[in-house]
Amino acid sequence: MTDPLTRLGGSVARRLSRLGALARFGFGACRSLGSLPAAGRAVALRVTLNQIRFTAGQAVWLIVLLSGILSFLVISQAVRELGRLGAADLIGTLMVVVIVRELGPLITALVIAGRSGTAIASELATNRVMGEVRALEAMGIDPRQYLVLPRLGGCFVSVFVLLVVFDIVAILAGFAAASFNGMTGARYAEIVLQSLAARDVWLTIAKALAFGLIVGLVPSWFGLSVRRASTEIPIAASRATVSAIVGIFLCAALFG
Amino acid sequence: MTAPLVFQEVPVGGKGGQPLTLEVAARETVALLGDEDSGVGQLGGYALGLDRPPHGRALVFGTEILGLPEGERLAFRRRVGYLPAGDALLQNLSLRDNVALPLRFGSAATTREIEGRVNVMLAAVRVAAVAGARPARANEEECRRAAFARAMAFDPALLILEQPFDGLTARVAAELLEFARGGESAEGARRAILITGQELPGLLLPRLERVYRVSRAGALEMETV
Repeated sequence: MTDPLTRLGGSVARRLSRLGALARFGFGACRSLGSLPAAGRAVALRVTLNQIRFTAGQAVWLIVLLSGILSFLVISQAVRELGRLGAADLIGTLMVVVIVRELGPLITALVIAGRSGTAIASELATNRVMGEVRALEAMGIDPRQYLVLPRLGGCFVSVFVLLVVFDIVAILAGFAAASFNGMTGARYAEIVLQSLAARDVWLTIAKALAFGLIVGLVPSWFGLSVRRASTEIPIAASRATVSAIVGIFLCAALFG
Repeated sequence: MTAPLVFQEVPVGGKGGQPLTLEVAARETVALLGDEDSGVGQLGGYALGLDRPPHGRALVFGTEILGLPEGERLAFRRRVGYLPAGDALLQNLSLRDNVALPLRFGSAATTREIEGRVNVMLAAVRVAAVAGARPARANEEECRRAAFARAMAFDPALLILEQPFDGLTARVAAELLEFARGGESAEGARRAILITGQELPGLLLPRLERVYRVSRAGALEMETV
């Protein structure tokens, strides 16, 4: 019988090995961009635009709804409670640090991981099971160029665009909430702008890029890891989504 | 001259099966038939370096594809036309885009040149009328015709066809085999072809140079053509 320490070590080693394989997969996908011929680039671009349409275009109203409700509730409560303590100025910090910098990227990435991550993993797993990935390899096409790169690019752009939408809606909903609770628009704008620093903008952009990478790469990797059985497809989709969510939280913690 | 395709001591016929040594010479059409569990369906994967044989090796134009670095392996495979069992057309692409895909990702040709080549191929296999349809909207024969066109997109000197005529009438099978052979000359067909599968329509047999069958015991028997 192996002792608990050995088992723990084995488990950690396996996870690190998987992380290494994922990193190699991502690096290989990015490197394959260099060898794409012009006609292939046009196809990859078309697939990328299609991915953006699905990932960002079809999720935009969901993001508007979540951002609007979250921001309205938080700022309404904050104006009332902090106003009673004479600390209403803190809503600027609340808006910038909590909503724009922390919750905005997190919620946007979680929505995309839940919505598109599952779809990407299922689609690629189906491609694998149907023998389409094997056929691509047999034809001399790198599956990473046709299947992974466009999804990765699409997720990068989508997370970024949806994050911008999230933040704009959050600030506008905060404005509405503040006005609703007796604060003037000019005062609200002044407080928020005072709290906003260049560092917040760069951190938000960096998070969008990191989360976009996770949401595009992790489901692609799990999808293509499937072997032959169709019963593996839902398992891959589920694992991809859970892993992407865990990855997003870990990454957010690292940024913190 | 190096034979386009050589199998050396590659196992077929499951456990206890005899190792297969077979050469497909240029301009030759060879069929290797056997039951579903005979292992003949794996030979295409071995040849293209998609799978590693338990022992022995497969050489394509004198090269073991599996031994090449990844980038070269992909490039080398473009010299071989491959029709996998069940077509494996991409379901989210039209038949036209399926045929164009290898050219778009594997050649430096311009979009116009690729379109021209694809039009010629689609007309040659007679699916131009339904080329805009996705595989799910086309019938089995149309999908197979498109898969043949895709396999020959690069005009390869070697074709590997897995169960290429299953579900087709003998007449359509004969027509597609003629297309695959690429015309005749005094020396024979333009291409070397290996066909694997379970059965072949009798109408095709006169067009083949050799037909082998893997017996239940795993022995390789040559059939009279």
